Amino acid sequence: MNKTIATAPVLQQDNTKLGMWVFLGGEVVFFIALILIFLLTRLVNPDYNIQFRSHLSIPVIALNTFILVTSSYFMVRALEAITHGDGKGLRNNLLAVIVLGLLFLAGQAFEWTSLFKEGVTYSTVFGMPFFTLTGVHGTHVFIGVLWAIYLLVSHRRIPYTQENHLGIENFGLYWHFVDIVWIVLFTLIYLI
Amino acid sequence: MSHEVTERRANYLGIFIILVVLTLIETLVSYVQQETIKFPVLVSLSAIKAVLVLLYFMHLKFDSRVYTYLFVAGCILAIPLILVMTIVMPIIARY
Repeated sequence: MNKTIATAPVLQQDNTKLGMWVFLGGEVVFFIALILIFLLTRLVNPDYNIQFRSHLSIPVIALNTFILVTSSYFMVRALEAITHGDGKGLRNNLLAVIVLGLLFLAGQAFEWTSLFKEGVTYSTVFGMPFFTLTGVHGTHVFIGVLWAIYLLVSHRRIPYTQENHLGIENFGLYWHFVDIVWIVLFTLIYLI
Repeated sequence: MSHEVTERRANYLGIFIILVVLTLIETLVSYVQQETIKFPVLVSLSAIKAVLVLLYFMHLKFDSRVYTYLFVAGCILAIPLILVMTIVMPIIARY
């Protein structure tokens, strides 16, 4: 009897949220593998600072990190708005998430272009794991932007409500996870 | 209970400000030359930021524990991967 009561709160919730967390658990393994390849490449090649880190622009990436953290804040505000039945607030905050996501991608494109100009390409020792890792993360951001646009369009057709906003909540989980991955990458690739 | 949760969830701006300040501190610390100080400080700050996002923005602090277990399970599943890659990668690099 007690067992049934203990599991009830989860079973009552929509399975898609549970599915999203399972997906994010898998993503953790995926990103840890990619991060590990980068760190081990760095470990076995001691001239990391001369060959690669000297080409990275910390202020530009710090600004990009600020942009993504800010987008996470707007995302949580979007969810908060719809949980209070504020459809307009949801729309405005989602729009901010889209704009900030695109700004982040523009910042990454700027960084990559600068690196290519300085001769850091995919075929270099550090270029391969770096572009793979940041590229996969950037792809996640891009998918997130497309997802947010889809939510915005679907909200226009069939508005999300105080009772029905699980689609927004699931997207929020994905977007915050992408933010967490960047928080880790910012430290491990750029700062240390 | 629901009122308490709503109230506790409302401090998103405070969390955001902490995240921004920590990012700023991280960026400044990265210019410190002493690796013995730099490494633990940066890793700790990064971990604090990640946990803040998980607990407050992703609501793990307020949601069912099952979600926390699923996320932690991903981290635990990665341990054998980390061990294998840490052993194999340096061997591959030698050849």
